[in-house]
Amino acid sequence: MELLDYVDKAKEGDQEALLQLIMAKRDEYYRLAYVYLKNQEDALDALEDMIVIIYEKLGGLKKSQSFYSWSKVILVNCCKRIIKNRRKVVYLDVLPEIADDGLIKNKQHGLEVEEYLQKLNPKHQEVLRLRYLADLEYDTIAQILKIPLGTVKSRISLGLRKLQALVGGEMDE
Amino acid sequence: MNKTEQMLNEGKAILDQLQAPPELENRLRTALIRTTKKRKEKVRLSVKVLIACLVLFLVISFNFETLAYYGKKLAGYDQVMNGTLQQLNNLGKGQLIGKSYTFKNGVQVTLDGVMLDDTQLLAFLTVKDTRGNVDDTDIGLSSLHFKGFYRHYMAVSGQGFINEEKNEEKWQYSFEPPHFYEKKLGFRFSLAQGGQVEEGEIVFELDRREAVGQTLRIAINEVFTAHQEQIKITNLLASPTQTVLEGSIQGPVALAKDYLLGERIRPLTLEISLLANGEEVAELGGGISTNLNGITFHKNFDALPQNLKSLQIIIESFSADHDVRENVILEKGMAAKNIKINGQNIRITKVEEVGENTQVTITSHEGVILSRVKLNVDGQVINLNKTISDDYKKTPEGRIYHTRTLVFSAKGSNLELEIERLTYPERVNHVVEVPIR
Repeated sequence: MELLDYVDKAKEGDQEALLQLIMAKRDEYYRLAYVYLKNQEDALDALEDMIVIIYEKLGGLKKSQSFYSWSKVILVNCCKRIIKNRRKVVYLDVLPEIADDGLIKNKQHGLEVEEYLQKLNPKHQEVLRLRYLADLEYDTIAQILKIPLGTVKSRISLGLRKLQALVGGEMDE
Repeated sequence: MNKTEQMLNEGKAILDQLQAPPELENRLRTALIRTTKKRKEKVRLSVKVLIACLVLFLVISFNFETLAYYGKKLAGYDQVMNGTLQQLNNLGKGQLIGKSYTFKNGVQVTLDGVMLDDTQLLAFLTVKDTRGNVDDTDIGLSSLHFKGFYRHYMAVSGQGFINEEKNEEKWQYSFEPPHFYEKKLGFRFSLAQGGQVEEGEIVFELDRREAVGQTLRIAINEVFTAHQEQIKITNLLASPTQTVLEGSIQGPVALAKDYLLGERIRPLTLEISLLANGEEVAELGGGISTNLNGITFHKNFDALPQNLKSLQIIIESFSADHDVRENVILEKGMAAKNIKINGQNIRITKVEEVGENTQVTITSHEGVILSRVKLNVDGQVINLNKTISDDYKKTPEGRIYHTRTLVFSAKGSNLELEIERLTYPERVNHVVEVPIR
């Protein structure tokens, strides 16, 4: 069965079809959520929220072929909501320590990029993460962030230049 | 490549190693199930409008056939139907009954519909209790049956779902399939309340034209040996609702002989998996029964996929309980002792007196259990009181050893361990290729 058949079935309320659609690209979804939330539990929560919203709103999706980019926009919104709520909730057991916002800064893997990314303006951080870590296309990023394509490109270009300045060394674009 | 690019690539490579955890599918499925109910409440109004439209449609066009098609689908059974049954239901397969019975206390049982094939009769029923305690309503699972011409067809298995308001339960029950001559069936159930049992019945005519479809019976007749028994897989029944493997472990003569000799074998579990096109078919249930016909078993799996290219039956292991009657003389503080019963090694590592008890520590392979063991203490037979300190150790070769201590509430000088029954598994790993035409 083709993607569009699954989307059509899911639109008719077939939960299994919807589940298959998501499971077919589960790693992509999971990584996207992880880029924002940086831990497994929150990423899974975001995916749960996403599938419920998709199930409720799928009927309104006009272009079935845009299912994946549309659902990723929903996922990012779910992630942002979780981050917002996370700020409101302060867990007592993490209070004495400074919360480590960078789980991706996996010391075992020696990942440096997060250390530098976190020094950038949040807008630049986000586009760079979506483009280079989550590997999303420019137009998908534009849809997710609800900004024009040109803005995505300029933010990426500016972000890269700032990152370059922090890291030091040559840059070829 | 400059340092920034290298860093970004490195970041991506690490992220690419991340894989969605296996529990994701379950969590998503559960989230969807939770949301279905809410969605149904939202659409309730539009359903009313839809029904009004349908009635209008009926009045204007008298298009009964189209309406009948809609009528054939059962609504509200998403939670209790597996994928295969949902597909059949969506195709409008099955016979719609829609008859109810109301008990004196107002509890209403509705037989919404049935699905029939050669392997089972599936009944879909709704139990309503407006008082909101449907979860306490017992409609008598043990007595649930279909009354046929001269015999009863009992419920084999069932699963249900209670709504949040606790005023409605949806059940799916599987029954033995009725004989080919059965036409009029009585669906019988009972309600126990306040020490009294009230019986109810819904009578309907089985319409075999509405049966879900043909069942394919393939003779397998594959024999393999485990626990010195010839185990035979006789048939595979592929029906639209499920796939059933049937077989026997002992014929009536062998069963009677072992019984007389006191060497009975009680089969416990038979691990069989079914692979269709290389993928495991979900197991739905199964059972082993002993009667005058010997020991027979059946394993039920989900229906086979449409585009079946290959089918394999894999018999993984067979675990059984044996009458053994082995006595082992023990001494307090004795050195470790190995014994071998039916080819199974058991090591007695420690015998000691603790307080008023005698404790015997043993080690064996995982799955080997002294299922009936006693200790003869100075001529008096003492039953096992309890087993303590379960410990499992895995060797580098992957074998798992289980060490535990048996506690007997007595102490004395002459000790003899009486092992009457022993349970152990036997790996079979026998693959049967089922030819596909």
